[in-house]
Amino acid sequence: MDFYYGLAQIVGVHTLLGLSAYIVLLTGQVSLAQAAFFGIGAYTAGMLTVLAGWQIVPALGGGALVGSATACAVGFPALRVKGLMLVVATLAFGEGVRLFFFNFDYQVAKGGIKVGPLGGEGFRQIRYFPEHGWTTGEVMLFIWAFVLAAMAALWWFDRSRYGAVLRAVGEDELAAQSVGVNLTAVKVSAMTIGGAIAGLGGGIYAHYTTHIEHSNFNVLVATFALAYPIVGGLSNVFGTLAAVIFVQVFLIEGLRDLGDWRNLLFGALIILAMNLRPHGLFGRRSA
Amino acid sequence: MLDLLQAISDGLLFGATYALIGIGFTLVFGVMHKLNLSYAAASIGGAYCGLLVLKVAAGAPAGLVFFGAFVAGGVIGWLVYVACFHFIPLSNPLATLMSTVGMLLLIDEIIVHVTAGMPQNYPAMFDDVMLHVGGYTLRGDLLLVFFLSVLCMVGLLALLYRTKLGLATRAVSQQAVAAQLCGIRVARVNAMTFIVTGLLGGVAGAMIGAAVGALSPLLTAPLTVKGLIVTVIGGLGNIPGAIIAGLLVGGFENVFQLYRGVTERDFYVMLLLFAFLVFRPGGLFAPKGSRD
Amino acid sequence: MKRIAIALAVSLAVSGAALAQEKTIKIAGFGAKTGAVRSFGVNSEAALLAAADVINKQGGVRLADGSKAKIAVEFYDDRCTAEEGISIIRRIAGTDAIVAVGPTCSNVAEPLFGILQKKVDDKSDSGLQMPIFTDVAVKGGLAKISEWSFRNVPSEWTMYSSLFYWLKTRNPGAQTVYGGVEEDFAHSRASWYAVMKDRAEANGYKVLGNSKWLLNDSNFATQVREMKNANADIVAIAAHPFTTCGVLKEMQRQGVKPKVLIGLTSSSSMETLQGCAKQAEGIIIPTSFAPVTKEGKFAAETTAKFKGAADLHSMAAWENMFILKDVIESEKVSGNKGEVQADRRKIRDGLAKLKQTKGLLGITKRTEDREADKPYLFVQATKGEWKVLHDPL
Repeated sequence: MDFYYGLAQIVGVHTLLGLSAYIVLLTGQVSLAQAAFFGIGAYTAGMLTVLAGWQIVPALGGGALVGSATACAVGFPALRVKGLMLVVATLAFGEGVRLFFFNFDYQVAKGGIKVGPLGGEGFRQIRYFPEHGWTTGEVMLFIWAFVLAAMAALWWFDRSRYGAVLRAVGEDELAAQSVGVNLTAVKVSAMTIGGAIAGLGGGIYAHYTTHIEHSNFNVLVATFALAYPIVGGLSNVFGTLAAVIFVQVFLIEGLRDLGDWRNLLFGALIILAMNLRPHGLFGRRSA
Repeated sequence: MLDLLQAISDGLLFGATYALIGIGFTLVFGVMHKLNLSYAAASIGGAYCGLLVLKVAAGAPAGLVFFGAFVAGGVIGWLVYVACFHFIPLSNPLATLMSTVGMLLLIDEIIVHVTAGMPQNYPAMFDDVMLHVGGYTLRGDLLLVFFLSVLCMVGLLALLYRTKLGLATRAVSQQAVAAQLCGIRVARVNAMTFIVTGLLGGVAGAMIGAAVGALSPLLTAPLTVKGLIVTVIGGLGNIPGAIIAGLLVGGFENVFQLYRGVTERDFYVMLLLFAFLVFRPGGLFAPKGSRD
Repeated sequence: MKRIAIALAVSLAVSGAALAQEKTIKIAGFGAKTGAVRSFGVNSEAALLAAADVINKQGGVRLADGSKAKIAVEFYDDRCTAEEGISIIRRIAGTDAIVAVGPTCSNVAEPLFGILQKKVDDKSDSGLQMPIFTDVAVKGGLAKISEWSFRNVPSEWTMYSSLFYWLKTRNPGAQTVYGGVEEDFAHSRASWYAVMKDRAEANGYKVLGNSKWLLNDSNFATQVREMKNANADIVAIAAHPFTTCGVLKEMQRQGVKPKVLIGLTSSSSMETLQGCAKQAEGIIIPTSFAPVTKEGKFAAETTAKFKGAADLHSMAAWENMFILKDVIESEKVSGNKGEVQADRRKIRDGLAKLKQTKGLLGITKRTEDREADKPYLFVQATKGEWKVLHDPL
């Protein structure tokens, strides 16, 4: 049973990662920086529980806060550009953050051993959950409380005036601008919310893997953050969830019994999915 | 000073391999306004196929291996087109972005399965030639790569501006609908673009294999990133720009490495790139009033 | 209807009886079979299957009730990612496997050991209670993370200590050492800073410095130039095969010819020779396996039948299987479906008790912090093959 709870944990965290890209995609921006916000959240929350001895909830809040602040700060310059330029600008930023953690040492002695991030060797022993006796099922429920909250919030945004504005910017910037929408405010706010969700997801990631290092936040993770909402479709938040289940549960765990074929099918089935459902699993034909 | 100049010249020369990859990226983007993220992987895949020549005829000259990579690259280019672009509506850039990501993972994994992920020795031309100029040394094989990328550029420009196919390609790139109305078969032109860039990619992959001395699936991810960087710095769709951008990226890498060490090297390259994109979004040679 | 019910009941009873007679002991293996490290997973799986096959052909393992059970191996691919490693170990914990052998990558081993219970019998710690007996992940000191983690990987500290000591007598002229390190891979990085550099200095060598590069770098001109300027007698390269080959090729171009060339223990596999046999000629690497003993040759041949290559990593998996067989027998593992958790605990305690184990090269000493101190040899790349250069023991 623990295995299924563990799998649900992974689905939850990846859903947060995907949702953080989802809201940015709604405004028509393709950002490869989500893995960076995820990583910032992971390191922040991990340092807060391990080094500062915080409780888990405020620590995750701290991760989300730092993630959103970074996203907001990077949003202003980055969103001056769009299209491929934005893809590469956010890629550069994301890799920059990863390389920052690669060079980041901050260790303090605690109970005879040194803990904290140590550059390329990573940050080990983020064991808040097992140390406080949380079972796998409890951790899963805890994670899903956050995931459902994030999904509900985005669902509500989607249906509000704000959501309509986001989509208007995504459909046609020029038209949105001409009816008085402040493009910068909309794009940067979407980026900030995305940063908060990614930071939250990263904080959880750090705690359920107990060990993080810079390579956990590389371009491939950033690509998957984008892949979830795109494969799922942009019509609502459930598309992202469906895509996470498709990738994590079906492609990775479900096909495990196929042995060596699993790895080959992984890429091939993504290609097939895009050919069959170019607007995503839950997508509408809008364009 | 000697160190700096040597580092720059080493970097510029190695940048020739980035330039060669960048040309293909920029060409697909120029014609279809689409990103093909599987391009670097396909190029390396073509280079691996070139090794099959050695399986058939052991001890075949390096040139024959390169030719095998060239042909295989074209075939893979066409396959990528069919699998990732042909059936997906052109109005949907996100879908093709993801299908090419899938292709990148697929090609990587095929390579891994065939070779068990082990690095494969790759033949080279002029790899034992080191030119000594004063106190400096220049790698002969990288000079070959550099001349080859210039040659590819000249060939491509000739293809684009001197042939009927080139005319059709440019027409499609500027106004696909209008081109179709003029009787140009857009799908065919797009397929041809992929075959041509695929052929080029095969050569690029082989040259990279030769320059590095070995092929490994580890090469594809960094090359994809470098290809993207070179495309945007050079200006989207700008072939000479891509060559210069490739050399520049190689040069800057080595300078940062010399002064800040390898762990911080890419950090500064990325920072520089970010600043460059934000403040000069049109690329190095942005025309006034650059297009979207 | 009645007849069917009876038939069903009978068949169930018969199959139940058959199960009771033929117990199987399930041992799970896991490692990377995807990506650049695929060969490690493939070889480990082959070695586990081969060793289990040998044991089963000899009748299997003796259980607590005196019956014999066959060993069944199931192998999982973790793609060298932390999340998947964790997911797999939870999956394994959900089956009746009594022990897991793996993983390939140190960056999977770290988080994996982290989710295990830190101290046995610590009720307040909800970590997983599953013994893991690592065959490949070699980064130093990992097993101390949890009392459920054990490793049968060579101690680089001992091997390089001995290597530098031996070089001192063999090449008395060599005085200086220069390092090359793959900086962003946890294992190779630790191998240079914590092991090779330290051990060279301890043996009276002067370490002139080191060059750094990254796992997927391909241009080494600057680093090799630094190496050339240092002009050390000994060059030690702590890097995996792909960049080791890249650096060796660049050294050839720039004409860097140190008196002695030393490599990372993980590079003493076929990969290096596949990538650059010509340039690797003469490189010396300490390793915990070479087919020099009768048992070693037999293990290598049997593993080859299961389509795997024998190297220091896969042969550790082979040894693990035989160590586990002894532990199962000495600890009186029941093999009953209902007592899986108790059996796992017996395995853990049995492994913790071991002071020494039998290895393919001789006796392996087990340390207090659940690590191995394995016998080793120095091998040298000679004409596209690894030849044993010296047996220090």
